[in-house]
Amino acid sequence: MEKFQQSFPSKQVAWPASRKWALSGVVGSGNLEVLIEPSAAAPASVSYSVETSFPGYKDSWLAALGDFASHYAVGGTTITIHDQGASPIVITMRLRQALDLLTSVKP
Amino acid sequence: MTNLLARFFGDSASGITLTDKIATGYASLNGSAVCVIGTVEGTYINDAAALLLSAQVLDCIESKPGMPIVMLVDSAGQEPNRTAEMLGLPFYFGHLLTCLEVAREAGHKLVTVATGKAIGGAFLCYGMFADAIYALDSASLGLMPVEAMSAVTKIPVATLQELSKTLPALEFGAGPFALLGGVMEVWPTDDSLPAKLSAAIDAATTEDTRALLGKERGGRPQALDVQQRVLAESAA
Amino acid sequence: MSRVPYHELKARERIAAIVDPGSFSEIIPPPERVMSAYLPKLGIPVAFDDGIAIGRASIAGKPLYLAAQVGQFVGGSVGEVHSAKLVGLLKSAARDRLPCVFLVESGGVRLHEGSSGEIGIAEAIRAVFDCRAAGAPTIAVIGSDIGAYGGMGILSACCDFRLMTEHGRIGISGPIVIEKWMGKEAFDSSNRALVWKTSGGKTRFLLGDAEALVNDSTDAVRDGILSLLSRSAKPDLAFVKARQKFLQERLDTFGKTPDPDAIWAALGIRDVAAATLAEASEFVESFAPKKP
Repeated sequence: MEKFQQSFPSKQVAWPASRKWALSGVVGSGNLEVLIEPSAAAPASVSYSVETSFPGYKDSWLAALGDFASHYAVGGTTITIHDQGASPIVITMRLRQALDLLTSVKP
Repeated sequence: MTNLLARFFGDSASGITLTDKIATGYASLNGSAVCVIGTVEGTYINDAAALLLSAQVLDCIESKPGMPIVMLVDSAGQEPNRTAEMLGLPFYFGHLLTCLEVAREAGHKLVTVATGKAIGGAFLCYGMFADAIYALDSASLGLMPVEAMSAVTKIPVATLQELSKTLPALEFGAGPFALLGGVMEVWPTDDSLPAKLSAAIDAATTEDTRALLGKERGGRPQALDVQQRVLAESAA
Repeated sequence: MSRVPYHELKARERIAAIVDPGSFSEIIPPPERVMSAYLPKLGIPVAFDDGIAIGRASIAGKPLYLAAQVGQFVGGSVGEVHSAKLVGLLKSAARDRLPCVFLVESGGVRLHEGSSGEIGIAEAIRAVFDCRAAGAPTIAVIGSDIGAYGGMGILSACCDFRLMTEHGRIGISGPIVIEKWMGKEAFDSSNRALVWKTSGGKTRFLLGDAEALVNDSTDAVRDGILSLLSRSAKPDLAFVKARQKFLQERLDTFGKTPDPDAIWAALGIRDVAAATLAEASEFVESFAPKKP
């Protein structure tokens, strides 16, 4: 297993009153789960925490996570990931899904 | 095998019928009558076996009010079989369990002794349903031996063996199973068995204390806390 | 009428599609991080919910407890935390005399956690009967391709009711295990038609093991659950005696019949080929013999 944490600057998230957290994905082969929660600290920064059973891809991870932080407003959140070998495309998709679930209008 | 039945029930073991290593009947334990069902000699348990056992339970409910039911377990599990699956083996097992529940609600105490192999579905479908579960120290209890676990999970045997030193859940045997709360006590195979079983029946209650035992003994540190946390959060 | 296929959805999507909007209140939700202590030691990633989401919800305004297993996570298998969540949920349902509905998707006990999941399922089975004794209906919904196997198959069989779709299967030994044991000649696990005819929803419904067989849509599953919610079947002596006779007859009649199609025909299906292709509702309406 490989574990690491990294923060990136990001525009502050518009946190809906109705939600305390959002979860996307599942831990399965080639997949990951993403939990997004409000962070007490740094409203202009997102803090990622990653646990993956496929070590050795940290650079690739940081690129995907950094990209996401710069394109989307997730400042003031903690994003925790449990990964079982997802590709960068799937990683980005799950991050977007988690943000969508968080900010969607549906209850 | 008759040796083991005789250890518990003496001459009254003759009241127990063995049909393809499925035991059913009535015997005497320390002067009191008991109903006996179970498996012997590591046999497999299938739909026909389950029906034999449930028939005995039903007979006990109907004709012997309040009589304790002793469940002996020495089974290697179920034989994978396409016909058994098609005819709904889970339902034969479920029916046996339901019969035992009707017995429990009618006031029959249910006590299990794992005497040999007590593995997977064969144990779940009756023995693990008792009010109280015991095992002989020579019994093989657990989900599956480490070699089989390794073959399915692809985790090396050496890794599992190393881990089992600190995780009794991965170890096969009566002692580790007791640490998890799966059995109340482990008994040596000696002359004290009838007295111990008799006392176990007297002490049995319908409360399932396995999670508490698992926490106290350290083998299952999370189960009780999680159960209670769910109960607390759902009450709020 | 929504046609979202139930079997294609993930656990949490199934919950959202079935319950009244916004009514699911999760117990021990992911942020609480109650996770497996075993998997990290085996180098396997953990899941925040240990593969089962549990909580309270309502369907058509009727309150109930609900669990959904995540089949993609270690095969939906049951470990220490997973089983403890199940047990706690069932005990809550028994305490409150509310229905307990399981969206089952599990291969059984989680091998990686050894005996702890096995004992946990045994505790859950006792808790199912606690619910039944309290008059709280227990309903197993089996509509995923993974099915309900091993200890979860037994637990499902102990519930008051089983609601299935043709995708669902209930069994003890899975098809690959059967093939390994009996040989490919006797049972080819790659023959999906055979596998589903052996353990799938249609056969279970025909044999009387599943009380309801519905189409593979979340609306059909929801309606099916509703129809079972107010019924409870506390087992008594008369019930189990009748069941003993029923199961004995089944074994006597079909025990030597290896072929599911022969059983279907013997149970009154006149056009087995058409019945095989029919959607669940059509199967129930037009092909299956009417239940008394």
